[in-house]
Amino acid sequence: MNVIVGRYINRNSWVHRLDPRMKILSLIILMIGTFMTSTLINMLWILAGVFLLILTSKISLLNFIKSLVPLLFLMTFTFVFQVLFNKQGPIISTLTLNLSFITILLNVVVIIGYQILKRFRIRGFFWFLLTFAFIIYLYTLNLGTPFKIINLNLYRDGLTFGLFLLVRIIILVSASSLLTLTTKPADLNNGLERLMKPLKVLKVPVDEMSMMISIALRFIPTLLDEVNKIMKAQASRGVDFASGNIKKKVVQIVSLLVPMFVISFKRADDLSNAMEARGYFPGMERSKFGILKFRFSDYLTILFSISFLVGIVYFDL
Amino acid sequence: MGIEFENVNYKYDKRNAKYAIKNIDLKIDSLNEFICLVGHTGSGKSTLIQHMNGLILANSGIVKVSGSDVKKTRNINSVRRKVGMVFQFPEYQLFEETVEKDIIFGPTNFGVSKKEAILKAKEVAKLVGLEQTILEKSPFNLSGGEMRRVAIAGVLAMEPDILILDEPTVGLDPKGQREMMELFKKIHQTTKKTIIVVTHDMDVVSEYSTRVIVMKEAEKKFDGLARDLFLDQKLLEELNLKKPTYIKIAEKINKKLNRNYQIGCLSLAELIKEIVKGE
Amino acid sequence: MEIIKVENMSFSYSKEEIFKDFNIVINKGEWITILGHNGSGKSTLTKVMIGLLKKETGIIKINGIELTEENVYDVRKNIGIVFQNPDNQFVGSTVKDDLAFGLENLCLAHDEIEMRIEKYLTKVNMLEYKDKEPHNLSGGEKQRVAIAAVLSMEPEIIILDEATSMLDPKGKEEVIEVIKNLSENNTVITITHNLSEAILSDRVIVLNKGKIVLDGKPLAVFKETEKILSAGLDLLPSMKIANKLAELNYQDEELKGILWELNSKM
Repeated sequence: MNVIVGRYINRNSWVHRLDPRMKILSLIILMIGTFMTSTLINMLWILAGVFLLILTSKISLLNFIKSLVPLLFLMTFTFVFQVLFNKQGPIISTLTLNLSFITILLNVVVIIGYQILKRFRIRGFFWFLLTFAFIIYLYTLNLGTPFKIINLNLYRDGLTFGLFLLVRIIILVSASSLLTLTTKPADLNNGLERLMKPLKVLKVPVDEMSMMISIALRFIPTLLDEVNKIMKAQASRGVDFASGNIKKKVVQIVSLLVPMFVISFKRADDLSNAMEARGYFPGMERSKFGILKFRFSDYLTILFSISFLVGIVYFDL
Repeated sequence: MGIEFENVNYKYDKRNAKYAIKNIDLKIDSLNEFICLVGHTGSGKSTLIQHMNGLILANSGIVKVSGSDVKKTRNINSVRRKVGMVFQFPEYQLFEETVEKDIIFGPTNFGVSKKEAILKAKEVAKLVGLEQTILEKSPFNLSGGEMRRVAIAGVLAMEPDILILDEPTVGLDPKGQREMMELFKKIHQTTKKTIIVVTHDMDVVSEYSTRVIVMKEAEKKFDGLARDLFLDQKLLEELNLKKPTYIKIAEKINKKLNRNYQIGCLSLAELIKEIVKGE
Repeated sequence: MEIIKVENMSFSYSKEEIFKDFNIVINKGEWITILGHNGSGKSTLTKVMIGLLKKETGIIKINGIELTEENVYDVRKNIGIVFQNPDNQFVGSTVKDDLAFGLENLCLAHDEIEMRIEKYLTKVNMLEYKDKEPHNLSGGEKQRVAIAAVLSMEPEIIILDEATSMLDPKGKEEVIEVIKNLSENNTVITITHNLSEAILSDRVIVLNKGKIVLDGKPLAVFKETEKILSAGLDLLPSMKIANKLAELNYQDEELKGILWELNSKM
């Protein structure tokens, strides 16, 4: 449930107390900053800064690592791609790979072993990496008579640029996580609404969009509850949601989707009646109860964020 | 054979100290019982009945359905077929194009042939008081009460040994409520199958039950006859339960007119008998 | 003084005629209960009265002003409705926000909103739940919030459309207690199918197939057992006893005299 409803963690830290508008703006500035930085050293400095923010937000580092896990593949791919194909700068080291029948045979054995272990639920990304590294290691050994020798050159720029991209991804993900972890979804929505307000001039229905988002956020737990109930009801009619072939899967999904549609429409109908009865109609003039007020720390933050950006531009030139 | 619970415990959050159900021992026969399960919201009723159907598996203790341990059974569907479960607002589980298709959905999932299931559908539709012409209609064009009957028919068509209903009369008007309860009484009388009804309505308990189970704060606090429950003033207060209407009325008459009617009248008929007898 | 007046109103749902030439007058300060089985048109009536559903013909006057398509939003400010399902009328992400929603619609200033939230949450005894989210509240608590939300807009008429029918006994009691208090100072319309909830009101109307079959003081209305039964409603326990005794030709004037009192507590 936490995944969708925002992953807000309630703590009392200065980051939590900041005005949501300020946090959103600062995040945008930080993002621009990382794209204007061109050296690995500067990027690492920014990472250190983000790390400091995370430490003072009183939220466990584990939450940030969790948010990076889904991107593990992308990060590895970016890094390996750079290392293999970026051929600029001096060569740092060379990896000599010997292809011989013995190594290929061993390679096959390792892959089969990996597949067998996988059946016993020993799997995961780190296992895959380990196996991959082991295979590469096999080729560096001089076993048997090699019929081909490949020299893999490791270039300095490839390595630094790979790392550079890696750090950039980490910064972007953990900084956005910091925003969602320290701001209630409702506040976030509120902040976004205020920031987008100028767009009203361009006839963008900012208020209605924000009302939609806030109602969606409000009903997600209710509807998830409902999904759970329907799943149980269908399960007791013999639907096994855990297994089944494609034909059965289709039936399972239909048996869940149709009731969910019916329920959602009923709720939407009731809700729109209730909202209208309480005097709401889209596009109307409304006052705003949740007033956001900038405090001293907010001004300080935005000042810091701007000077940070200026600093980046200055030092990077 | 029925359902047996041996020292069953369950927590929704294992790190939390709060039990959803605690130390439950229970034996329910598959024949001739009409059980009302009573308790305030959050007392563990709903968790309890979900154990009977294998929708929730106990943290500790054993739940047996027809003699086989639910946790160890290879095919959970064999349990689910034996214990038919009708949830609150069951009309929301309907999804097929026609009523008939929806009723045969359960049986065919459990491996009954389509032909047989359709025959069965006709039979249960009649049992729950639906007209045969309704079978070809879309369930979404029916009234709320009819939809609920279709959903109940869908569970009955699975031919379960035991039927569990979670607040089956919620949202219906008084007439609909009475008809619904009479329907379960009829099913109980014609098939002899055990029926378990979760309810908040003490009048339903007093009029229909052959046995009452009261849950409070995750534990089973009472298991016995309605009369024994409702005549035990102290226990009622402890369990925070109300008395059924006719017991309340008998007490009031006694107090106001200084009469000596027996206060254990569980239904209107019993009270009238008591009044007329007193002459 | 009449506060709601419906004259010759007709309404149909996709061809099916619900009301034809329907008339009703509701007076200021009255607590009126509209009784009817599911499908008798009682909920439709309220929706038509505040213009959520569009009548075909007839005149609806709220507080002397005729309801038209142009003024529907203004006229509606005089009426607040609490609906049946506690979940489906909770708009805000917290209790406080839910009350604020309606008050924002009235374009009130921040301090006024703050003040009213405090005042009306206190009235329904929910002030300490101010910052709670809906999924942490029970049905009865959500329904009390819904009542506070409607009250906070300070309408002259409050309609409770089967507001207790989805609650457990505890929730029902809580909400009924609140309604009793409301009726002292407001015009209250409760819609229900339970006769026992109608006992305390000033006036009872029984609706069947879009027509008023009974209208009067609860005591007088509940004497018409046959009409009540044919309207698909259930009799009060005391009425059932009286009927049965009459069937058996059992005479007990003493008992007959107090039967009505036996219903006293809902």
